Amino acid sequence: MRFVDHVRAGEWHTVLGYLLFVALMTAGYYYNVTFVQLGLIDLGTRLVGMSDTAVSAWMATLALSTFVVAVAAGVTMDRQDWSTDLRTKLRLLLGVLVVQFVLTAAAPHIRTVSAFGAWILVASVALGIGFPVSFSLAIDFIPVPDRGPVAAAITAATYFLANAVPIEWSIGAFSQLMVLAMAPGLVVLGVVAFDLLAPVEDLVDDLADQYEQFGTGRFCYGVPVKTRSLAFFAPVLLMFGVFFIDSLGFLRIIETPALILTSWQSPEFSTRLAIGVVHVVGALMAGVLYVNFDRNGLFLWVFALFGFTYVLYTSDLRAAALFPALGRDAPSIVNPLFYALTVSFYTTLNFALWPDLSTAETIGTHSAIGVGMAGWLATFVSTAVALYLDHADVGLLTHLNLVNALALLFFFALVVGIYLRRMLAVAREGEGVTEGDAESREGEVTG
Amino acid sequence: MTPTEIIPLLLVVLLLLAGSGAEPDTMDVVFEGNHTLGTDTSAGTGAVSTGSTGGDGALVVGGGTVTVPANASVSSPVFVVGGDLRIEGQVDDLRVLAGNVTVTDGATVTGQLEVIGGRASVADGATVGSRSDLAGELQGASPTRSPAGFLFQVGTLALVAGLLARRNPALLDNVGDSVVNHAAVSGVVGAIAGLSLLVLFVYMAFTLLLLPLSAVGLLAEFGIVVYSYVVFGYLVGRRLPVERVDVASAAGAGLFVVALELLGRIPLLGALGQALLVAVGFGAVLITYFGLREFEPAEIPG
Repeated sequence: MRFVDHVRAGEWHTVLGYLLFVALMTAGYYYNVTFVQLGLIDLGTRLVGMSDTAVSAWMATLALSTFVVAVAAGVTMDRQDWSTDLRTKLRLLLGVLVVQFVLTAAAPHIRTVSAFGAWILVASVALGIGFPVSFSLAIDFIPVPDRGPVAAAITAATYFLANAVPIEWSIGAFSQLMVLAMAPGLVVLGVVAFDLLAPVEDLVDDLADQYEQFGTGRFCYGVPVKTRSLAFFAPVLLMFGVFFIDSLGFLRIIETPALILTSWQSPEFSTRLAIGVVHVVGALMAGVLYVNFDRNGLFLWVFALFGFTYVLYTSDLRAAALFPALGRDAPSIVNPLFYALTVSFYTTLNFALWPDLSTAETIGTHSAIGVGMAGWLATFVSTAVALYLDHADVGLLTHLNLVNALALLFFFALVVGIYLRRMLAVAREGEGVTEGDAESREGEVTG
Repeated sequence: MTPTEIIPLLLVVLLLLAGSGAEPDTMDVVFEGNHTLGTDTSAGTGAVSTGSTGGDGALVVGGGTVTVPANASVSSPVFVVGGDLRIEGQVDDLRVLAGNVTVTDGATVTGQLEVIGGRASVADGATVGSRSDLAGELQGASPTRSPAGFLFQVGTLALVAGLLARRNPALLDNVGDSVVNHAAVSGVVGAIAGLSLLVLFVYMAFTLLLLPLSAVGLLAEFGIVVYSYVVFGYLVGRRLPVERVDVASAAGAGLFVVALELLGRIPLLGALGQALLVAVGFGAVLITYFGLREFEPAEIPG
């Protein structure tokens, strides 16, 4: 790892950059998977008194508007050259954090639908600006060879904290914790963003130049990946599939008390700890695979693991339907453990992929489109589909079976796609050989 | 017992049935309630079974309580993977993988009582044709208690290692290179692939149609593990002061198996160490295509 080299060389500004990036991304993602994804459901249903369907519709609105704001913010960042200006990015992030701090503190006091809606819209603006800005910090802080391990560290820390640290899934508990955590973060980010201390100014100066060295992503050396190209949109589509499958399945699992109360919300600490540990192991595994294989390999693993996870879930449900006596016991912990492994895999991939598909000139747009389409738009669409299935009274087994089919379909399509791509490459090489002159062939052989 | 816990045991039953030439799709499974089973021998005809477990195929006890009364006999093979089985009458063949079996005074197991897991209690006045207790044997198994079996393992592996090292050392060299220089990625690939393939083969078996393929797959997984042991032996052999590569590999394989056995004696950490070695070896074999080419990690510029 380059991180060790930097420590050995005493390049402390770079080391601090790593730590700052991991801390910022972990905090941001933890906020997203707990407060936004779980807290808002509690706020809408329990405190505001809306139906599950109405809250889901608002969550879908949040996802869609976040996506729109993110794309606008990302494109603006690149066009205004803010992507290569570290201080501007840190100040934007500080602004986002201030808004989120106020929103987080105010959330438990919301009691009307209109206030809930206004909260959602303001939050979507903050989130939409926040994630392209935070993802773009990778080009300032993280050397390209270390992006896989750093993504693994962020994923591992986030999910371990989210699962192992016992916290009630209620807006009040989330709000209290977040406000306490965000307050010191605001102070630190304020000091860094506005050079309030002389040593910090030097540190930011040093970090601000690193994009020249770290700015070109792993897949952009030689020929940079263009926004309007298959090389960019194929991973976007695959990531969209991953998020869609995850969200569609998890939305149903989370609504099934028998499944959720024996796993993610288990009263047993050991169960939640086991899930947290598997998340850590999965993230570290994904980090190792990311630096050793092409990204297609990781996508294959993710879809295969999702397929397996849902095969396990649906098999349990089928067996329980055939033999009711089996269904009376608590569901197996194996299924959520497999699920946790898969989620860690794709989250790690998500954190490393977008900066690696970008240059310093395209990081804003690419991370906004990538995370926006894959993450937020997929969540919007999957929520809509889940609502439709709910209205159509589709049973748990049929719902999870559909998710399983999608996972297997993506897996199969990816295998076929990789094969066809190689076949085309071979065919092109063949054309080159038949059309090329003897001299060039001789050159290839001897060269 | 949850479906996920019982499924592997049912798979073992399926494989055992398929291996014995019986029809797996005719087996009856009991998961709950109290059942009385068997053909009434005093009346001459008629089953006294209650519930839906009176078929001609094997009987699998997966839960609940099943009793074979004193005047009844069961001629089909019986497997216990959970719950309780109480035998007061006569049973032909009985295999216990989990759960509890009680053979009471005067009861008879005419064939074999095979205890692979779980608990079997046989009264002094009961008659059992033959009995094997694999669970007990495994608990007590050690090189000192069964030196012949252990020596056979060591000898076989040493022979395979020696032959492979003589005929194609490049294969072992490539896999060994991944074990030594790419242990992390080998371990990750080995752990995920090994686990996923295991799950895949288990679920294949439950289609019944793919049962033979499942058995072949499990055998192939075992083969990969053995191959990785050979590679570890080759690596150990290279550090021995022996010139001939085949002899060194054979000696290394023997030493490796002994070391692995000793490692397993350390509580918890030993098993973890063994699992880690198996995962690294398994992955190294896969990422080098069984040693056909050296593993080269992706190049990351920057």
